[in-house]
Amino acid sequence: MVSAAVLHLWVLAWLASVLAADRPEKPKNLSCIAVQESETISSNIKCQWEAVGHQTEAVPTNYTLFIRQTGDKIYTASILGPVNKTTVDLNLFPHHMELEIWVVAQNELGKEESEHLIKLANCFVKTKPPSVAVISEAVFPTSLVMSWNSSIDKRYLETIYEIRFCPLGSQKWFYVPLADTSRYIQSFRLQNLQPDTVYVTQVRCKYNNNNKHCGYWSDWSSNVTERTPEDLPKSKPDVWIITSEEGLNKRQIEFICKDPEFSNGRIRRFNITIEKQKDSIRNGTWEIIPVNRSLTDGSSSKKQITPLKTITLDDEESVTVYVTAINSVGASPQAKLIISRKTREPPAVEKTEVQSHNGQLFLSWKPPNRTVSEYVVEWVSDGERNWQRENGKKNYTAIKGDLKQFVQYRISVYPIYGKLVGKPVLERAYFEQGVPSQGPIVNLSGDPGCYTAKLEWDEIPLIKRRGFITNYTIYYRSGTETRGITVPANTTSYTLTSLSRNTKYDIWIKASTIRGSVNGSNHSFTTLKYAPGEIEGIVVGVSLGFLFVVLMTMLLCFCKKDVIKDNFWPQIPNPGDSTIGNWSPDYPLKAEAPRENCLSGISVLNVDVCDAKCVFEEDKASLPLKKDKYLSEEHSSGIGGSSCMSSPRQSVSDSDEGGDMADTTASTIQYSSVVASSGYKGQNPSSLPQQSIFSRSESTQPLLDCEENHDTMVQEGSRQCFLRQPCFTHNAGNENATDSNDFNPLEMKQQEVLDFCPLEEDTEHTAPADCQSDDWIPAPVSSYMPQLGGYRPQ
Amino acid sequence: MNGHVKNMHFQQFMETAATLLSLLLLMTVDSTKTVALSTNQQCGTLLQQTLKITRIVHKESGDLIKTYKAAQGEMSELFCKVSVNDIPDPNISGLDPPARIASIYTHLQAFLPHFKRVYKQQTDLQSPGSPLLKELTRVWGRTESLASFMNTFYQSLFPNLPIPEPAGGPTTLPPAQNVFQQKVYGCVVLKTYKDFMSNVSKELRILKSKVCMKRTPINAF
Repeated sequence: MVSAAVLHLWVLAWLASVLAADRPEKPKNLSCIAVQESETISSNIKCQWEAVGHQTEAVPTNYTLFIRQTGDKIYTASILGPVNKTTVDLNLFPHHMELEIWVVAQNELGKEESEHLIKLANCFVKTKPPSVAVISEAVFPTSLVMSWNSSIDKRYLETIYEIRFCPLGSQKWFYVPLADTSRYIQSFRLQNLQPDTVYVTQVRCKYNNNNKHCGYWSDWSSNVTERTPEDLPKSKPDVWIITSEEGLNKRQIEFICKDPEFSNGRIRRFNITIEKQKDSIRNGTWEIIPVNRSLTDGSSSKKQITPLKTITLDDEESVTVYVTAINSVGASPQAKLIISRKTREPPAVEKTEVQSHNGQLFLSWKPPNRTVSEYVVEWVSDGERNWQRENGKKNYTAIKGDLKQFVQYRISVYPIYGKLVGKPVLERAYFEQGVPSQGPIVNLSGDPGCYTAKLEWDEIPLIKRRGFITNYTIYYRSGTETRGITVPANTTSYTLTSLSRNTKYDIWIKASTIRGSVNGSNHSFTTLKYAPGEIEGIVVGVSLGFLFVVLMTMLLCFCKKDVIKDNFWPQIPNPGDSTIGNWSPDYPLKAEAPRENCLSGISVLNVDVCDAKCVFEEDKASLPLKKDKYLSEEHSSGIGGSSCMSSPRQSVSDSDEGGDMADTTASTIQYSSVVASSGYKGQNPSSLPQQSIFSRSESTQPLLDCEENHDTMVQEGSRQCFLRQPCFTHNAGNENATDSNDFNPLEMKQQEVLDFCPLEEDTEHTAPADCQSDDWIPAPVSSYMPQLGGYRPQ
Repeated sequence: MNGHVKNMHFQQFMETAATLLSLLLLMTVDSTKTVALSTNQQCGTLLQQTLKITRIVHKESGDLIKTYKAAQGEMSELFCKVSVNDIPDPNISGLDPPARIASIYTHLQAFLPHFKRVYKQQTDLQSPGSPLLKELTRVWGRTESLASFMNTFYQSLFPNLPIPEPAGGPTTLPPAQNVFQQKVYGCVVLKTYKDFMSNVSKELRILKSKVCMKRTPINAF
């Protein structure tokens, strides 16, 4: 029983919770508004509320809006949820009557009523903004009078107002205190305004319920602008100078001026007078500088700069300038500036520093030791110049002008001592640096070499530099290999080394700032294949070398001509010139020392008729033979040289060249030697038979028959005559030399000079009786003797 | 203790009692003043509201006359100068404030049937979108609201005095009229009503000092 009851209770509670979840909840934040239409308030009042709670399609919630008017007149409007707003038509807006408004949320499970909103009907009104007019009065240059008409008759509802104004161009509104306008007024005077300034004004209104919070503010009225009247300038014009050098010991000074800070009107002209320090009294001549400027509104923050006058001043001169600004009302207070002598220019500030921070450019400096009344900070860029003044006790400031990005400014600080302008200090700075818009244009300086190339480039124009260059990086590429060299920012030329000859290079330069880098234009060049003068040097060297070789070769040839001759053109003794001596085997062979004048042997030389210039030096003097010109031919008879008693003998020739005996004999083959007997020498028949020895060489040539028979046939004292053979160039064994008809007599005559050892003159020309003919030469009786000396192997 | 001392004690007691009574009396009077001030505040507020509504109605009635004349064509200026019978008196009657407030209420009630008739007649004479009809409707509705408000105001001021109904039963309307007569009738009604509202405004300003003892704010009127 107990458990069943508990179960029942539990089920009921669960059901209640389920059902309660679907009951409508009390609507919250009920608000209503009635807007103005034309000149009256609309009879439709629009209300909205916050629908709270869960709403389902199965159990929809119906909202009914109730509006009770004074006198118990009730208006209703119903709407189905989840829509949470509706409009009720009251037929006539019940001004000044109290309304009670509430909304009831109802569904099948129940209903809930919101809180009742009880207010005067006017508290739900939002009117249109008033229409405003503003006028200025010349006698009140700092005031404007605003007037307006309420958008609705005050009998329907009285309104309070709110006024705001701002200088044209400014975004900052100035609000008139609400206490000054919280009543039903239709005009108001704005005061403490700036003269000659355009102001924008606005007004809005709301139901006035005796200072109770009630109603809705209307929208702000449309802008109404008006300019305050001009007034007398209240501050001095801002006079400054632009100094430039002009010639020697002269400077040009241009006086420029900004409008006074409180111009209170359009400045129409400036009055300027310049007084040179040397003038003891002031001449008081004012010069009028008209200002041609378009009408600018007073809200312009940038003051225009007016050039006043330019003068040329000696470095040793000092001037004082006075300037006043005039508008339509009158003249401003007088501004004064003193330009001192250059040599006595007051000291400058020290240690200036410029930094960019938080979108501003800050400048700091160390004050000089003298008391400064104020500082002038000037910033100049291409086409722009401006300045600002700072208190003399400050040592830092922020540039107040509109600085542009990526533009280099020349910032100067001038200390002003009283009115005297001091020496400036210049700093260069960027408000914001960027990447240069153009890279350096690189070119070659002159022609490239084999291994080097000199590059040069110009600085990037200031307008495109957009920042301080920190460094340059030079890139050069050949093929696929690229190299880079970083150089300081003050460099404008560089010589590349270690290049390869005859190679094409692409070069470009990257300029870097703190913001980034940009590459310049590409330039290509090809290194030389040969260095200047290299080809000439090579040619000259080769030529010289060749010439040297040729000369040496010629010299060698000349010096060794005999050797060469012997090697290349060996002398072949002419067998026709050979003589056969007596063969005497009975006599021992003994070597006899060759005597100078003996016809010790016959060296059968390869002497042709036109050849044989070999002459023994030592025998040369003893050559009794005719020294006819004997030209040896080149060809050789193959017969070796002869020896005088085994000593080689030089053939007699006209040539005094002589030559080495060995050389000459080396070129001939000693074939045989004939040892002449005394009979031969003397050429005189001797009563005594003389023994002649016939020597024969070691020649392998077969003996001739006559030679073989000589041993037996030739006796003492017999003499033989042999025919002097003309030289046969190739036929050494030409035994038929007796055919004298084949011989040229001239040649034969020439040949007489050769072939024999020199004899005494008186014996030489003595021919045996039976050998008188010139063709026959008496042959000495000789016997074969071994060659002793005189033979020099080849 | 002698009698002189007893007398002194009694005298002291009496003095104390008198002082206390005086204080009590003062407190009672002050409380009634507060109560009275509170009543006057509400009176003044209600009176001020009534006055504001009256001014609206007065303004709208003046605009209505202009609109009516403009809508009637030529010679409309003469219409309002004609005398018509059975039009409610624009003057307020009564000797005391309750009676005068009641008179205002009854006059407002009396004008309502005339407004209805003029509206009906002008509906026939004007186009449906005529602003005259719209303004007639507005003034008519304002009059009803003002009457209701006057009733509430009267009852709040004089809860024990029933507000009297208009004397002589329902308002008597003129017989059927021709167009000219309708135009004249309408003009006279509206002009009379405007005069009546002017009188009501004046009356309420006078009643303010009589009925509600409250210093009115500067910008109340």
